[in-house]
Amino acid sequence: MASSSSVVPKLNIPLHVKYIQNLDKKQDLAYHLTSHLRLNGIYWGLTALCIMGQHSALDREGVIEYTISCWDEEAGTFGPHPGHDGHILATLSAIQIMVIEDALDRVDIERVTKFLHSLINPDGAVSGDQWGESDTRFSYILLQSLALLGKLDTLSPETRENITQNIKGCMNFDGGFGTTPGAESHSGQVWVCTAALSILDREDLIDKDLLGAWLSERQLPNGGLNGRPEKLEDVCYSWWCAASLSIIGRLHWIDRDKLIAFILGAQDLEDGGIADRPGDWVDVFHTVFGVAGLSLLGYPGLQDIDPVYCMPAGLIASLGLRKPYITLPRLSSYPPPS
Amino acid sequence: MHGVKRLRLTPQAAETKRLKELSKIESYLAIEQDVLSRKRVKDYSDEALGRTTRLLDLNPEFYTIWNYRRTILLSLFPSLSPEDITSHLISDLRLTTSYLLVHPKVYWIWNHRKWCLESVPHGPGESQKWREDFWKGELKLIEKMLEADARNFHAWDYRRYVLSSLPLARPKTEELKYTQTKIEANFSNFSAWHCRTKVLSAIWAERNATPEEVKKAKDKEFELVTQALWTDPGDQSGWLYHRWLVGQEPPLDTLRREIRNIQDLHEAEPESKWCVNALAHYTLLLARHPSTGEDEAMRLRGEAKRLFTILEKVDPHRRARHRDMAAQCT
Repeated sequence: MASSSSVVPKLNIPLHVKYIQNLDKKQDLAYHLTSHLRLNGIYWGLTALCIMGQHSALDREGVIEYTISCWDEEAGTFGPHPGHDGHILATLSAIQIMVIEDALDRVDIERVTKFLHSLINPDGAVSGDQWGESDTRFSYILLQSLALLGKLDTLSPETRENITQNIKGCMNFDGGFGTTPGAESHSGQVWVCTAALSILDREDLIDKDLLGAWLSERQLPNGGLNGRPEKLEDVCYSWWCAASLSIIGRLHWIDRDKLIAFILGAQDLEDGGIADRPGDWVDVFHTVFGVAGLSLLGYPGLQDIDPVYCMPAGLIASLGLRKPYITLPRLSSYPPPS
Repeated sequence: MHGVKRLRLTPQAAETKRLKELSKIESYLAIEQDVLSRKRVKDYSDEALGRTTRLLDLNPEFYTIWNYRRTILLSLFPSLSPEDITSHLISDLRLTTSYLLVHPKVYWIWNHRKWCLESVPHGPGESQKWREDFWKGELKLIEKMLEADARNFHAWDYRRYVLSSLPLARPKTEELKYTQTKIEANFSNFSAWHCRTKVLSAIWAERNATPEEVKKAKDKEFELVTQALWTDPGDQSGWLYHRWLVGQEPPLDTLRREIRNIQDLHEAEPESKWCVNALAHYTLLLARHPSTGEDEAMRLRGEAKRLFTILEKVDPHRRARHRDMAAQCT
């Protein structure tokens, strides 16, 4: 590992920008089989571009038109692709895209708010759609969606408390959080729960030293982070873990340079994009969470990302939504001067 | 895309692959368009149901199609006998089983399964037999899934869901036995250790266990976890479980005994950072214990600080954490 760290490549921004711009051009079978993730994919690509300072690399009007075409009139919210059913997962992506493109005025905010409210269960759990599956991911998505729509105050104090208590009920002895009460701690769920509690101004419920220790133990000798004890590393956990650590003010508890080197090593330096780990096929999901992780860690030349919302930090601040968190200082060059 | 190795294709090989895919894409798009247009015109016929199966065979992640399928079934059910409803549900469970064996981490397939189970009618006659049989069968499937991947959190979540929904509740001690089997098969299975923390807590709450009873039960657990720690002191799973057993306010004799045991392990395994980590934490717990006098507490905090300083050296990835923790020891 020591010998390879001296030849760590830099982040190839032009190549990744081109990769994202071309995502729609390679219409292979996998592209068609993943249409249920299309709108999420646009949010991932657009956010990656914003972090790399290339917001306008995707055609703004095209993005907005497509997002609007995903509206599901029956559900009163967005689906991931025209003709698909509305779901909370696609709803957040649509809102995030429209906020980034400053086009929220083209969304029926009242109907989306109504849809979101319809998903809150009496016990504070949040469902993904009318079929009822609940998960702490959806609690977070509901809160972020309402926050971005400027509708967080439509939650009554009782409902807010129920949602908070439900998230608290998913907390485990190791300080982490699971999908539902009783479920094992998982970095992805840790991120959504810490970010949700942050939006609710209830970070006091988190044992920061305990959770910070658990999260820091996700880092493996190769620098990458895993999602649970004794599992493999994966670039997307760079985001889930690092963003959580940032929210609880413990991002300095992992080895920055080792993680940066791991993410950079997962780039495809021929065709662009970032993979789950070095040598694997790339995708836009790992690309955004790779560059977002790099941004939090202070990689030079990147725009700031907000760890609570996974949105451009400046934009979140301008909306008055910024919550407390600590990122690492932006480096002036990479590799950092030793 | 998770864990799929990137291959470099020659331009010719890439072109051959593209051409080979073309006909697949064409037939996929044709069936997709057919099903989505039937959905749009609210075609809830048997034929439409069959078409959703064909599309889901090609793409079981297409959640809109699962929704459509349920909508069709719900519209067919009122005109069907309970026997016919049951046989529809059996065939949907078979379908999801075959998909899960290939796609064990697709949320939408698990969700459809839950819906099937929750839709089983009463019967035959006045009995609950169908419901009991359906739910009982689920545990077998989950065990198969957890044999294939003992850490699949979808399967563990689903297991918890099934256990809490069984028409005839199973004693919680059965689940304790199951986690023990999984742990003994592989000490590194933290999912099973985690499950054990939940099951034991539930058993103690259910029985209104006294502190003495809990202590006795925990002593047996300490024996189990000590085996794991000695087998591989580098594995986090056992250490996490040990930490749960010790808890926030352990009985003094337990705490002292465990510190001694870990000191023994540390002597045998001087390289293990986990021993030092546990010793540092438990030493701080001892310092905070109500029976510990102020002078002794100060000495213990000094000892914990020394241990955190060792960790700074032996665990450099987390150096800053150990430094912050050491700073809290004064």
